[in-house]
Amino acid sequence: MLKGAQRPHHRLVRGYADDLKLWRTPWSRFGLAVLVTVFLALPIVVQQDFWLSVLIYAGITAIGAIGLNLLTGYAGQISLGHAFFIAAGAYCAARVGGDLGLSMPWWLLAAAVAGGVLGGLIGPFTLRIRGFYLAVVTLGLVFIGEHVWRNYTGLTGGNSGTPVNAAAAVGPVDFSQLTIAGETYSRNQGYFWLVWALVAVVALLAKNLVRTRPGRALQAIRDHDQAAEVIGVRVGRHKIGVFVVSSAMAAVAGALFGSYQQFVSPDEWTLLLSVQYIVIIIVGGLGTIFGSVLGALFVGGLPALIDRYSTTIPGVRSGAGSDGIITAYTLNAILFGLLIVLFIVFEPRGIAAMWLRIKAYFTSWPFTY
Amino acid sequence: MTSDNTYEPLLEVRDVTLTFGGITALNGVSFGVDRGELFAVIGPNGAGKTSLFNCLNGVCRPQLGSILLGGAPLTGRSPAAVAERGVARTFQNLGLFEHLSVVDNLMLGRHRLMRTGFGAGMAWWGRAKREEIAHRAAVEDVIELLDLEPYRRTPAGLLPYGVAKRAELGRALAMEPALLLLDEPVAGMNMEETEDMARYLVEVRRETRVAMIVVEHDMDLVMDLADRVLVLDFGVVIACGTPEQVQSDPRVIEAYLGGAA
Repeated sequence: MLKGAQRPHHRLVRGYADDLKLWRTPWSRFGLAVLVTVFLALPIVVQQDFWLSVLIYAGITAIGAIGLNLLTGYAGQISLGHAFFIAAGAYCAARVGGDLGLSMPWWLLAAAVAGGVLGGLIGPFTLRIRGFYLAVVTLGLVFIGEHVWRNYTGLTGGNSGTPVNAAAAVGPVDFSQLTIAGETYSRNQGYFWLVWALVAVVALLAKNLVRTRPGRALQAIRDHDQAAEVIGVRVGRHKIGVFVVSSAMAAVAGALFGSYQQFVSPDEWTLLLSVQYIVIIIVGGLGTIFGSVLGALFVGGLPALIDRYSTTIPGVRSGAGSDGIITAYTLNAILFGLLIVLFIVFEPRGIAAMWLRIKAYFTSWPFTY
Repeated sequence: MTSDNTYEPLLEVRDVTLTFGGITALNGVSFGVDRGELFAVIGPNGAGKTSLFNCLNGVCRPQLGSILLGGAPLTGRSPAAVAERGVARTFQNLGLFEHLSVVDNLMLGRHRLMRTGFGAGMAWWGRAKREEIAHRAAVEDVIELLDLEPYRRTPAGLLPYGVAKRAELGRALAMEPALLLLDEPVAGMNMEETEDMARYLVEVRRETRVAMIVVEHDMDLVMDLADRVLVLDFGVVIACGTPEQVQSDPRVIEAYLGGAA
């Protein structure tokens, strides 16, 4: 009798429960282990505040980007109003976490609920309009928001902004000065763990959503809304639902942003912020969860890299009076624009598609397909 | 149809009239479809066949008349509400969700039979997971019935035309419908593909006993498969009966070949 006969092939699927697992193959489980190790070890290995701060901002952005990708990538609803919900979350953290002094779960929850309610109010507008018209309507949101943020000073502190004293603490665990086994970690290290753990949670929630009934319905609406209705999908209910979820995620990102930065002003929530999120999900990959995270890392990390190494890039001016034909800021803006053009022309499905191609190549190696 | 008072057809269409502005698409159309029956609707171009389907599944609201499914009215309900009552439909020019795999398309057919909402879906705990597994198993029965095994993970947009038509039939069957509306199931197919589809339709009938209404231009298919045939012309019923009766009806011949006068 063959010795190996008792052991099934490592990719054997023995039931639908196996088939529906997120981490099905040994390689994917290995990848997960690598990610967890990087998550745990990175703040200890890389202790520089600069890099940790870049990664924290990227993580916060990733949470918002996952929300926008659910709305735009999965449900096909283009929104330019993402900045509005992010702002709402930040001010919510300032008031609930700062003024009321409630602990982190509460101000995160409050931000999510506030974002969700606002999204639920905006959602019904999507029932009658779609595509570019929806983009224009949600664009209006940014400008209405701008007015509210600048004038409703009790909530927002007006033009001059407001401090956000929302502490990143749950009971005795304070992420701004973590102490584990006698070792104290810096604020940036603590926030890195906090933010990226939340990225994982939000990504998991989003992934679960898109692989179950409501998420499939969203994709059906994106691909063919009339056919979706004919098979019994309540289109309106699902469009509003995804607006609620997406805005809640945006608000959570905003709350974390405020809490980390400790100060926010209306100058942050411009149309450019919304556009940046759209760029992130396009560069990362529309209709993929991990693409949102990759996009946030890429779009967040690239300017930081250029900033950091502007002195060593030839022709880049590092400061006033130094030589060079271009400032780091201008170079960033140019590269940002160039990236959008290049991605839309050459890889409209984003970094996620590149990754999937690489994976497919190695899965089927030595065959080409 | 019978003198028995308790007799009630599955679907009853009474005096349905649908107008678009000055154009009358359907004019006082009445007929009934029995349980398990394969009912064909034919007629020249512009006769109102697709309009009739649109009324049946709630896409259009007829100005007059009523449509009853198992005694309950369908008229005035939204397409989603009609689908929830068990009316499935395929589209003339494919209504698949092209970025989703065949399995996901079929799972969407199960949508009306599932309950998971946003919260439960995101949590993937307990019922959401059990429901996914149970309905995935049900979808597999349809995949087997229609021989879609090689295409489970293929995005619907990449399927060959004939297979895509079959996948769409599969999605409708996954709904476990009481009534299946097929809008030109063999349109654009060659003889071999048409025969394949006919074989699948026969098999589906035998397996599920579902009542079907088929709109089709392929007369051989209609006359071979249908129990009864309804002939529409300019929105008016000109004949309804068995294929033999309809074929010999002078009004039908006139509508198709043009009047000699």
